[in-house]
Amino acid sequence: MFGLPGHGMQLHLDALSILFACILLPQTVAAALAGMRGSIAFWVFVLGMALTLAAGDGFTLIFGFELMSAASWLLVMQGDVKPATFYAGVAIFSGACLIPAIFLPASSLAFVLVALGAGAKAGLAPLHSWLPRAHPAPPAGVSALMSGGMVKIALYVLIRYGFVVLAPAQQPWWGTVLMVAGAASVLVGALRAVLEVDLKTALACSTVEHVGLIAVGLGVALRAKALGDATLTGLGLEAALLCAVAHGLFKPLLFIGAGEVKHATGTLSLNWLGGLMRGMPRLGALMLLGAAGMAALPLGPGFAPEFLLLHAVIQAAAGGGILARIGFSALLAVLGLGAALALAAAVRIIGIGFLGRPRSLHAAAAEDARRGPFIAMALLGALCVPVALLPGLLLGVMTPVIRLLAPDADTPPLTYAPLSLLLLALLAALAAGFIQTRFGVRGLREVPAWHGGFGRPPAWLPFGDPHTQPSGAGFAEPVARVLGRGLLGAQGQDPSEHFLLGPLLRGQRRAVRLAERVRRATIRERLAFVFAALVLFLLALGLGQGG
Amino acid sequence: MLGFTLAFIATCLHVALCFAVAPLLIGTTNKLRAWLLGRRGPPLLLPYWHLAKLLRKSTVLPDTATDLFTFWPLGAMLAMAVSVMLIPGYSTGLLTGPAADAITIVGLFALARAATMLGGLETGAGFGGAGAAREALFGIFAEGALLVLLLAFALLARTTNIDGIANDFRAAHLGISVSLGFALAAMLAVALTEAGRIPTDNPSGHLELAMVHEAMALDYSGRLLALLDYAGALRLLAWMNLIGTIFLPFGMARAGDVLSWPLGLVLWALKLAVMAVALCLFEVSRAKMRVFRVPEFLGAALLLGMLASVFLFVAARIGA
Repeated sequence: MFGLPGHGMQLHLDALSILFACILLPQTVAAALAGMRGSIAFWVFVLGMALTLAAGDGFTLIFGFELMSAASWLLVMQGDVKPATFYAGVAIFSGACLIPAIFLPASSLAFVLVALGAGAKAGLAPLHSWLPRAHPAPPAGVSALMSGGMVKIALYVLIRYGFVVLAPAQQPWWGTVLMVAGAASVLVGALRAVLEVDLKTALACSTVEHVGLIAVGLGVALRAKALGDATLTGLGLEAALLCAVAHGLFKPLLFIGAGEVKHATGTLSLNWLGGLMRGMPRLGALMLLGAAGMAALPLGPGFAPEFLLLHAVIQAAAGGGILARIGFSALLAVLGLGAALALAAAVRIIGIGFLGRPRSLHAAAAEDARRGPFIAMALLGALCVPVALLPGLLLGVMTPVIRLLAPDADTPPLTYAPLSLLLLALLAALAAGFIQTRFGVRGLREVPAWHGGFGRPPAWLPFGDPHTQPSGAGFAEPVARVLGRGLLGAQGQDPSEHFLLGPLLRGQRRAVRLAERVRRATIRERLAFVFAALVLFLLALGLGQGG
Repeated sequence: MLGFTLAFIATCLHVALCFAVAPLLIGTTNKLRAWLLGRRGPPLLLPYWHLAKLLRKSTVLPDTATDLFTFWPLGAMLAMAVSVMLIPGYSTGLLTGPAADAITIVGLFALARAATMLGGLETGAGFGGAGAAREALFGIFAEGALLVLLLAFALLARTTNIDGIANDFRAAHLGISVSLGFALAAMLAVALTEAGRIPTDNPSGHLELAMVHEAMALDYSGRLLALLDYAGALRLLAWMNLIGTIFLPFGMARAGDVLSWPLGLVLWALKLAVMAVALCLFEVSRAKMRVFRVPEFLGAALLLGMLASVFLFVAARIGA
């Protein structure tokens, strides 16, 4: 009924689409539970994503992709109009790149177009600056699905075309392009995640970082596949796919939690939150789990992918030409900086938002998450546990996907064993507990905090003066001073806006002014223009004939 | 079976010795530092008495803290304890060896750092928050530098496992190489920062504006402070073990060979003593830096780490 004439709509499921459908399913359920059940646009959005995954031909893929873009544009517009327009522009750009790419034969041009189209949709640098604006705008459930699901669909298109459809024409430099874009995303995303004061914007910036990590993994694998390095291909793919799975669980969790924070306190600014762990202990515990994933801490869901990715880069640096090796060591430095920045961002969200003293009466009076969103978060949190503790098992399940993407890839066993680390920690905890009960005294006595010698606050400030504890902006100040002003410019502006969108905007203004000038031209100017053009044309013709 | 039993005994010995010796290491450095400054210094065993005293004192909970206040010191201590168990000390081939991947250890250090930072932010005090913010800043550069450094070792030893690196460096006579020199300088800079020693932080300063680690522990008391202090001692030992294993692997025992244990133990004690003396000499001859000089210090470490790898690439290229 739909589809190209005489061709119809083809649906086809293989291991790759099933894996991404498995990534999509829990967050869809969670977003529906978090209050999006009744929205038609939401279900059209989900349908678009599902159609993209199940597509068996290029037309169906594009149809689903554009359905997803259009529905998400409607959902963003429900939140805020200004980012929605920007978002629509980026969606049109990505469609304009993808549609020709789908119908081109396998070639480098097709890959560049796919990378531009899918990369813009996934939020890869330098086309990422729409993401921290558009993702926080809609309600929390949609933000969760956009950050956890929609960027994965864009990456799915990238993987499908880069590894499968365009495989006959593959070149090593395709991987290099992805790695460079990924490294830039990691650095800018992680840095902005530390600096942004709005909780949802910080989470969206962290999404840019994770998309960067996935792209680096894919880039390593794509380059190694073209060069015929079986182990490295396997490592890179394992890292990228596991990162996609883990990010698809903890990021929706964090976004739904941020929505509940907004519901309970009326604000998302870290400068007005604080002490939420007291009023919202269940939400706080789940947010802590999500933040551990976001910071890629050991025993959390985000560590195994980071571990595999670092191993892949170290292994890639061990061979090849000297420039490539130096490039890989620089990539390693960027990944290290990015990991530590992500840690700082996660600590800031928990430490400033959920610990300490409340910075406003709304934060002090916050009540715990509502039932639906809490169940949604608990579901995602429960699914994080196997990802965190049994990553080896999960990689085993993913082997068919890796076989599909790179038939001769090796998948070496994972040398990170979270269960044995947990066992060692348990032994140490038992020893500490024994020493405490044998030699120590029990009990805790609650006393007024010392607070560095500040006097008792006046009666109208029941939680003390908020200015005597660091704010979200204050916590980020050292990082902003050392790294932010160097990398992002004095106003903390995103380099993509500064170097890409700014010049584009100026060029457009200039073109508009020129068009306006032409429109207002007098009849004499127009005649003169036609005459001059005629003379020039005849001159060129004459010179060409005479020569 | 015999091999497994021996490895098990060696691992237990390693864990027990490390946990027992960690406070002594702090006592030794304090004593040596006092001697170098011309003072008599505190007794060597003072850190033990200090921990015992803290355990017997009652623990107070600030009224602005949340329920997780007691959780962070335990988390920091456990992360450091696991990393001490993983990093080889007097012997290689321990049962924990296969899990001792360098990246796991970097992750455990980051976990301990995160728990300490959250503990500092817990009561909403100005000092704690400032300390945590500075720790976040230092951590960014330290982690980047450490990963780049690991690359140099991984390239030389063809493994990222600390146990494997120790085995490889002990067997192959690498001699004095420019790369390793750079890597050593960079590693020392990272270690001094991570362990909170003098050019970046003052371990004996209890109330100054530029303190970092102490600022985050300011609101802790009793058994929770004991946990944090013990975690600090373990952190110093973990870094000394790491440097000792990578740069001074000679004479390390093999877990499967009982006869090599005594020499390994003696040499381990000697290495720790030498590193403590070097640390004290460095600390008394340096002044503490301003907070915003530290990123430059660590940035230099990152560049040295990069140079170490680049020299290895060049050497591989010209076949040296």
